[in-house]
Amino acid sequence: MIITCPHCGPRDLAEFTYQGDATLSRPEPASTDQEAWNAYVYDRANPAGEHREYWQHAGGCRKFLVVTRNTLTHAISGVEFAPATGSSRRKRS
Amino acid sequence: MAKQRPGFIADPVMRARAVSPLAGHIETGQFGVAVGQSPSVRLGERFGLSIAEVTAWKGRESKCRAAIKATASAALKVAPGSGSVKTAAGAFNIAPMRWLVSGESPELVANLADAVSEDGTVTDLSHGRTVIRVDGEKSRWVLAKLFAVDLSDAAMPRGNGLATAHHDIFAQIQRVGADAFDVYVFRSFARSFWHLLCRSAEEAGYRVD
Amino acid sequence: MTSHRISTGGRIDRDKPVAFTFDGKRYSGFEGDTLASALLASGVRLFGRSFKYHRPRGLLAAGYEEPNALVTVTTDGAREPNIRATELEIHDGLVAESQNRFPSLAYDLMAVNGLAGKVFSAGFYYKTFMGPVIGPLKGTRFWMFCETFIRRAAGLGAAGTTPDPSRYERMNAFCDVLVVGSGPSGLEAARKAAADGKRVILCETAASFGGTANWSGKDGEMFADTVLSGLKSEPNVQLLNRTTVWGYYDGNTLAALERVTDHVGRPRAGKPRHRHWVIRAGHVVIATGALERGFVFPGNDRPGVMLADSAQRFACEYGALPGRRMVVFANNDSAYQAAARLRERGAEIVAIVDVRPTVGDWAQSLAAEAGAETIPAHAVTGTSGGKSLTGVTIRGFDAETGNLSGSKRRIACDTLLVSGGWSPVLHLASQAGAKPVWSDKLHAFLPPESDGAWEAVGSAAGEGIEPPEPVFEIAATGGKAFVDFQHDVTADDVRLAHREGFQSVEHLKRYTTLGMATDQGKTANVPGMAIMAAALGKPIPEVGTTRFRPPFTGASLGALAAERYGDLRPERLTPMHDQHVAAGANMYAAGLWFRPESYNRPGETVEEAYVREARNVRRNVGIVDVSTLGKIDIQGPDAGEFLNRVYTNNFGSLPVNKARYGLMLREDGFALDDGTTWRLSEDRFLMTTTTANAGRVMQHMEFYLECVWPDLRVNLTSVTDQWAGAAVSGPKSRDVLAACVKLTKVDNDTLPFMGIVHGKIAGAPVMICRLSFSGERAYEVYCGAHHGPHVWDALMNAGASHDIQPYGLEALGTLRIEKGHVTGAEIDGRTTARDLHLDWMLSKKKPFIGSAMMDREGLTDPRRWTLVGVISLSGEKLRGGSHIVDGPAEKPGRSLGHITAMCYSPLYGKYIGLALVENGVARIGTRGFATDPARSKTHIPVEFVNHVFYDPKGGRMHG
Ligand SMILES: [Zn+2]
Repeated sequence: MIITCPHCGPRDLAEFTYQGDATLSRPEPASTDQEAWNAYVYDRANPAGEHREYWQHAGGCRKFLVVTRNTLTHAISGVEFAPATGSSRRKRS
Repeated sequence: MAKQRPGFIADPVMRARAVSPLAGHIETGQFGVAVGQSPSVRLGERFGLSIAEVTAWKGRESKCRAAIKATASAALKVAPGSGSVKTAAGAFNIAPMRWLVSGESPELVANLADAVSEDGTVTDLSHGRTVIRVDGEKSRWVLAKLFAVDLSDAAMPRGNGLATAHHDIFAQIQRVGADAFDVYVFRSFARSFWHLLCRSAEEAGYRVD
Repeated sequence: MTSHRISTGGRIDRDKPVAFTFDGKRYSGFEGDTLASALLASGVRLFGRSFKYHRPRGLLAAGYEEPNALVTVTTDGAREPNIRATELEIHDGLVAESQNRFPSLAYDLMAVNGLAGKVFSAGFYYKTFMGPVIGPLKGTRFWMFCETFIRRAAGLGAAGTTPDPSRYERMNAFCDVLVVGSGPSGLEAARKAAADGKRVILCETAASFGGTANWSGKDGEMFADTVLSGLKSEPNVQLLNRTTVWGYYDGNTLAALERVTDHVGRPRAGKPRHRHWVIRAGHVVIATGALERGFVFPGNDRPGVMLADSAQRFACEYGALPGRRMVVFANNDSAYQAAARLRERGAEIVAIVDVRPTVGDWAQSLAAEAGAETIPAHAVTGTSGGKSLTGVTIRGFDAETGNLSGSKRRIACDTLLVSGGWSPVLHLASQAGAKPVWSDKLHAFLPPESDGAWEAVGSAAGEGIEPPEPVFEIAATGGKAFVDFQHDVTADDVRLAHREGFQSVEHLKRYTTLGMATDQGKTANVPGMAIMAAALGKPIPEVGTTRFRPPFTGASLGALAAERYGDLRPERLTPMHDQHVAAGANMYAAGLWFRPESYNRPGETVEEAYVREARNVRRNVGIVDVSTLGKIDIQGPDAGEFLNRVYTNNFGSLPVNKARYGLMLREDGFALDDGTTWRLSEDRFLMTTTTANAGRVMQHMEFYLECVWPDLRVNLTSVTDQWAGAAVSGPKSRDVLAACVKLTKVDNDTLPFMGIVHGKIAGAPVMICRLSFSGERAYEVYCGAHHGPHVWDALMNAGASHDIQPYGLEALGTLRIEKGHVTGAEIDGRTTARDLHLDWMLSKKKPFIGSAMMDREGLTDPRRWTLVGVISLSGEKLRGGSHIVDGPAEKPGRSLGHITAMCYSPLYGKYIGLALVENGVARIGTRGFATDPARSKTHIPVEFVNHVFYDPKGGRMHG
């Protein structure tokens, strides 16, 4: 598999490390909403099809990327720098 | 911003006492060279360089590029991997808003810290990286055994660089000549990497001075 | 044996004879010969014994599709089995031997398997070893009993057991166009791409480029030579012969194996044996050609039965005539061309037996050229001869019904050329993810529509293939009719599988093992499916083709492992590595790092050494290399705030030139890592992490900075390798520093506990932080890594009069166990701060990573496994990983926890340890057992104590 890093260009999968689901956003740091935290830490949709995932280009520029990948075919339809989607500022869509 | 401590070679006495991780492990001579042939690769360590990583704050990239130009006379373009190499100093982009700067001046790191000032951060890596130069007509052939990156003329103009890895060995590579590349590896991997490089170059025939 | 060498023509060099041995006998051939062609030219017909029945087998094919002629090559004692004689280029001194014969090829005792054919029918393995077996030899025991026999009787070649001395390498390549196959279509594709200025790689599996051009006629050869010389002069074209592209992966990444030096006896120094190419291609041109198929009929495996095109290849490319008197058996026109060419090269073509009722004019004229009698509407029904063909029997045949008619006619011949149609080589297209489509015209699978990343050209795309009459099997009686030669699968086996209920082609494959040998059924898949389809009463495309998986042909494991193998495995060494080795340290691999385990003096055991080292730290002073600790430069105006969020305790308030011990949690509330972080200036910190977690902690922090808190102005840089670190510990540590540190004082006022000073040792700038892992007064001294050896020596010299001794990981572990400090053995991903008695570090004034989840019900349960100390009461040595139980050996009861670390404590004069134990705090003062039933078989009475064995008030390290 090859991931095209927006900075480094196409690189082998071996240079990247998977860093989890990129569709989640972290609750406010001071939030005591246990359900929201539970959902953030444990609930994963595991979709068959397109999925947004964090990958870090650990063996390259070290940037965090959001990779849109089809979990059935491995086809990658988009790679972008992680746009702080995990921030508490952005509400879950 | 606290003033960066100077690069280690500032003190000529201490420069003499600095020990390369490759000290005693570099065998000079010609290897793997067939009778009547000349080596097609030259390998050598560039020891004693001042090395620093510069990272810009968002929106201050051009100021950091200017600081690098002022300090290391390296003119950098606004493009991934863009770099510049002069005899005494060089720099190349290794990540968004991040550059690796190196040079022979003992004051390089301190000067960079002054020049970058509030526009970003400077980290001294003079002791933390080992720089190995791979030069010669077969340099790309040898490096291609270790790195899955395109080092062709078109993909990597002179001066440019990139960050990649050979398994666990993280490396930053700058093209410094027609067929010459400087490979920056973590100091702790230096011996393993040197050994690996020599082994990979044996087929082509290599020389170490 | 008479010579079958043709005096002219071919791509062999008759001026360069090559001597080699096969089964101990000396032969000679010419440079350019394969083992197969050289032996064939010497009159050898018998190349091996078959896999299950040990039937004599000769050459069926001339290239990588050959199923029979597998040999073992021995080089300097290293054996490599299952090499195809048709691909093995001979060189002086080559030693090859045939396989599957015992004791010799000609007199094979195991041929008795053929008589016991019923026993070895399809599904033999499954039925015998997986099914219910009654009696004393049940299941696996019976398997183990039989295994030795089966392996010998039915194994492919045996692998060697000596280490492989060869060198293997990896090579990365990038190109715009990768052309696989250098036949006329591949060459043309490469020429076009090169003319367009593309970067081109052309791979050819054989030794010489040209593919079919090498044997199918003068015009082709000229074309190939012209194009090749053109390509050779192009700087953007890389030509790789002896290179098999065997895998097609995502992102147009292809794997290829280049056999760099297999064809030379003594490779030049530095040359690898094989090179594993990983090629990233913009576009892939599949020009892999097509493979001829045979027919399934009784005796179709007798040596002397050969594919027609392969016979032509032997005669034309290698100048080796497979026989003198030949019969051709065909269902298409291509065999007529082969017949004519073989006639031209000196063979007598007696007859061409064709299943078709009528034969076209073109074929007729070729038959006339070959001087052969054409016998239409007939089929070969059997072969005769022992280890070599002496004749064939034919009968009238109706291609429509498959019925045989009329009387048998015997034709004497030494070679039968078969041509049952052609199968495009689709392996790469199939791996690219496409499902082949069946052609009713060519009676073969063709590549499907491409997604644009690749294209198939030439006969790989079905172009120029002669359409055959769809006849795959001649259902005659009189012996075994083979489908898969290499795995000895017969037509009856396939039908048996059907009768037993196997309908899917994938199940059929696994049940019969059809197409699962080293040739992956290159010649067998389509006939096998045709027979399956007939049995099912379905058309072939409904039976489906099997998905091809890499590798296309065998790839050596050495090439895949390449530089990760042996002495090229990367190692991380600290700046003081040479000092440790010179001081006699046992170096221990901790992850990639090499660290001193203990500095054994002559005659000392490891335990004696570490006890001495630890005792010396408590009494005098010791020095340990801590350069491996992860170190991260954290800079920026928000660095303090960032650390407040990352650590459970407060760092924003940490004064400059002070260090603090910090704990990090994961988001789920469990502990992640601990370490000290030093504030070097208002907006700069130096964080240390445990050695093992350095990378993980870096990624953890990078994630939050980039994805969660991008508004924080903080930069992180790994500086692990920038600093050499030495911890100087013991009551006399301050004296050692005072004797060598310049530009700063090190007294208690200047350098209190957790204080930081800057100074110089022997001229080198150093940073010194007073912190303790051992429980003694101790200092961590950091200097630039290049000065590490120098500073280490200066500290050793300064400590000489204070009895300084270096200590290793074992003593370090002993000291920390006595002090009750946790490491990765306790922060194991399942423990919380409370479990480790670190809850005093959980700030209540701020949220931090993990704070929201750490107080969940299950994480605050007092019965959780918590950290305690254990002392061996019997004097027996405790084992790390032992379970804690509360019953005696006979009735231990369930596990209540485990020992995380143990040592011999010089302090107690006993074996002690740390353990995570259910309801641990409540057990302090009580007794239990540490049981290790699987390894040391010990069951040791222990007492549970507080985890801090030594100086719980900390007076020694603060003083
Ligand atoms: Zn990148």
